[in-house]
Amino acid sequence: MADYAPVDLAADNLVTFELNGRTVSAPAGTMLVDAAYAAGVEIPIFCYEPRLGPPIGACRMCLVEIEGMRGLQTACSTPVTEDMVVRTNSPMAKDAQDGVLEMLLAQHPLDCPVCDKGGECPLQDRTFKFGPGKSRFIEPKRHFPKPIELSSRIALDRERCISCFRCVRFSQDVAQDGQLTMQERGARSEITTFTGDAYEARFSGNITDICPVGALTSIPYRFVARPWDITNTPSVCGSCPVGCNTELTTRDGELKRITGRDTPNVAVEEGWLCDKGRWGYDIAMSPNRLSAPVVREAVGDRTVSIEDGVAAAASLLTGRRVGILLGGAVTLEEAGIALDLATNGTLDNAVVARLGVASGNCAPVRAATGAQLGDIDAADLVVIVGGDPAAQQPIVELRVRKARRFGARVIGCGARPHALESLGDFTRTAPGHLADGMMGLADAISNAARPVVLWDEADLASDPGAIAALTALLAASPHATQLMLGADVNGVGLSALGVSTTGLFEAIAADEVDAVICVHADPLEAAGSIAWQAVFDGFRGPVIAIATYASAMTERADLVLPALTMWEQEGTLVSMTHRAQRLRPGAAGPAQAAAGWELLIAIAHHLGHPPAYRTAASAFTHTVASHPAFFGMTTDLIGTDGVVIGAWPADDVSPAAIVADPDHLVLVATRDTFGDDMTARSHALRTAVSAPVLRMHPATAQALWLNEHDHAVLISDVGSSSALPVLCDARVAEGLIVGPLGAPGSPIEGALSRNQHQAIVRVERT
Amino acid sequence: MNADQVRAHIDPIRHEYAEARSLILPALKFAQTEKGHLTREDLEAVGEATGFSAAYVESVASFYDRLYLAPTGARVVSVCVTLSCMLRGADEVWDHLCEREGVSHHGGTSEDGRITIQEAQCLGYCDRAPCIQADAEETKGPFTPGSAAAFVDALRAAPDPHEFWR
Ligand code: SF4
Ligand code: SF4
Ligand code: FES
Ligand code: FES
Repeated sequence: MADYAPVDLAADNLVTFELNGRTVSAPAGTMLVDAAYAAGVEIPIFCYEPRLGPPIGACRMCLVEIEGMRGLQTACSTPVTEDMVVRTNSPMAKDAQDGVLEMLLAQHPLDCPVCDKGGECPLQDRTFKFGPGKSRFIEPKRHFPKPIELSSRIALDRERCISCFRCVRFSQDVAQDGQLTMQERGARSEITTFTGDAYEARFSGNITDICPVGALTSIPYRFVARPWDITNTPSVCGSCPVGCNTELTTRDGELKRITGRDTPNVAVEEGWLCDKGRWGYDIAMSPNRLSAPVVREAVGDRTVSIEDGVAAAASLLTGRRVGILLGGAVTLEEAGIALDLATNGTLDNAVVARLGVASGNCAPVRAATGAQLGDIDAADLVVIVGGDPAAQQPIVELRVRKARRFGARVIGCGARPHALESLGDFTRTAPGHLADGMMGLADAISNAARPVVLWDEADLASDPGAIAALTALLAASPHATQLMLGADVNGVGLSALGVSTTGLFEAIAADEVDAVICVHADPLEAAGSIAWQAVFDGFRGPVIAIATYASAMTERADLVLPALTMWEQEGTLVSMTHRAQRLRPGAAGPAQAAAGWELLIAIAHHLGHPPAYRTAASAFTHTVASHPAFFGMTTDLIGTDGVVIGAWPADDVSPAAIVADPDHLVLVATRDTFGDDMTARSHALRTAVSAPVLRMHPATAQALWLNEHDHAVLISDVGSSSALPVLCDARVAEGLIVGPLGAPGSPIEGALSRNQHQAIVRVERT
Repeated sequence: MNADQVRAHIDPIRHEYAEARSLILPALKFAQTEKGHLTREDLEAVGEATGFSAAYVESVASFYDRLYLAPTGARVVSVCVTLSCMLRGADEVWDHLCEREGVSHHGGTSEDGRITIQEAQCLGYCDRAPCIQADAEETKGPFTPGSAAAFVDALRAAPDPHEFWR
């Protein structure tokens, strides 16, 4: 992983020092290991990992000779100073490297041939490069029963551990889950949790990336591949709107592993992934994965080849007025093609819309200077307005914890309680009353030097008072930057292309459409499902579902075309911080499935209107050319790190405002990344799934004659939810119910209106 | 033991510790006085009373020989095996006691659960080497294998202490 911190050689506080006889420079205060690495000299390290916080000097691997200092110094914890004279290759330094490696290997099993880390192991590499080659240790080595399961996802081979403390520091300092510790001492030291409990945490997988030896390995990847028979592809995660940069490991056309990148994207995820992004890919192999086109006829379902499926789609669409519904994670290319087909005469005047949250009314907030997640590190004040970031945009949690570690103050307000509230001062506001909470934040924001305001897209969009208040707050604080906590994976990209959340539903209801294509979209499982169900019940025309997994819509559709997953296809997603980033395929996918963009192009060919593009890349070029937010953007420009898109004209669609009052109960939906339908189907994540519950204040429950664990349904004026267990949580405001969006079976979607995440409800016990 | 009991013990001495972490040790020693070893509940209580995670408290406890994470005998007998004592016959004392208590030469707990024999490093009784310590209460020397056995027999017969200070 990212072993050495990047060094800014253009900084203006450079100091000059001597390194192995050469004169080099680096900014004052840079740790010697980083300065040397930037100057092309590798000082071996194990415990040093700049992302974990200040160096701890635990392994002694980085010993170097510094003139004028007694003995050898640890280069990982020695900052460079002017005129320092450093030798990393003198006989004394070499002797120390030999000695430390011999010592580390004295208790190491050297079982590289059966170790998953073999071939990509820092201990192996550095032993070859810097080690003594021979050991004098002939005594018996320590043995442990091996391996043990640190959790259902992480194996621990204790005898391989070199006690570098990286994993412990990740758990204690970065994720702050407090679970991993080093127990015992000396040769008996071992990594463990409290009384050996499973290490269950949402970011636990990162320790398999940072362990410099094969002590901590991923169970799903155990004995699956060797570094010489895999290829690694940089991609991005499309499981939530954060868009963490990932690396996909492929063997024989199959996706075998997802890790953080070797060179992390400091502006986004800094190399960390949540366990969902790391291990959730096994749902691509789950039983409800669609693998062949299905034509649904009166006599029954017929499975056909992908060619016949596309031909069938074209014939269903011919001569019909078409509506295209896009899901929130549809790529720019797919949306661009859909828009193109709707306007270039292929599908005459087709109506294109998307499922998801509309936030055009938040344009004034968006117009203030935007921040990237990386900018949170340097903030002196982090303000969180609304939302539930730890659940909905997991990596944000690590960023805010890091800022807090560096001394930033964390404040905020909102209706939903969340994990980051324990980091600072938060006030609870009722839905629709965020502005009240923001009044208390104004002074802190205007007094801060580098405040970053994180605001929740769905909460703000449905709270006009909050938009005005936040706009005013940002305008009054010249140093403040803002960052949206987005609702939909590619919500920003789709709205930048001008795809609205409205239009299609109305068109179907008004009988203005006689064929519908759903692209990675299931309106029957989305907010407003009851209304959607009603219009589709009355809809006589054909419905084509381009989808990856079986769902209510693929059961209803007349034709199902299986599509590739985000791990199998090319495409561009725009993250919630407006960053366009590229998906690259790390697996082939089923033979009778194709990427959504490919299917749309193939359908156009069959309709006799071959588009001007054939590949995802040319579809991208074609798409960006006609949308101002993307002017000048090329795939080269996006590269591996992504690029922030420009501004676009906001649409005027906004969710209905819901203002809480004492007489009504309000449901606010949270899409918990670990509680959604996808997580529930992942085998690897089976112990990480959070169960769907209705969270409410004990007093609210009491007033409704509900006890904890009772089951209740929510009834709104559009429909009702399925029964869910009640969980009492005193942090939830009274009169408020927090419910799970996107949970298996879409339990609460029926009580919500289309594209809304809040509703006034009644509660009935079941 | 519960967190309130631990708090009652450490609150009066809090001011003596510059770093909050350092309070974990006296808290653990006190929590151990109840049963002679530390259970999951004891570790959680110390965590709660000191403000550290139970996992961290356990990692501290696991570092020290005199904090026990599993049940011991009613009395713990530590035989010094460091230089002065070794030169004056500690090995013979050690071997004799292990053999009599029926435990391996690494030490252990006797079958009747009364006595745990363990090695100790210098106990500061070099002038009375070889020496033996009973729990953390009483250190004596010099011993011969025979007098050491008599000392252990006396411990075995004595009533258990009210609190286990180890
Ligand atoms: S398990 Fe790995 S990361 Fe953790 S201390 Fe051991 S070597 Fe370091
Ligand atoms: S935080 Fe979001 S984008 Fe990042 S790995 Fe997790 S699910 Fe994927
Ligand atoms: S890298 Fe410097 S002591 Fe470990
Ligand atoms: S060596 Fe035994 S008491 Fe000092």
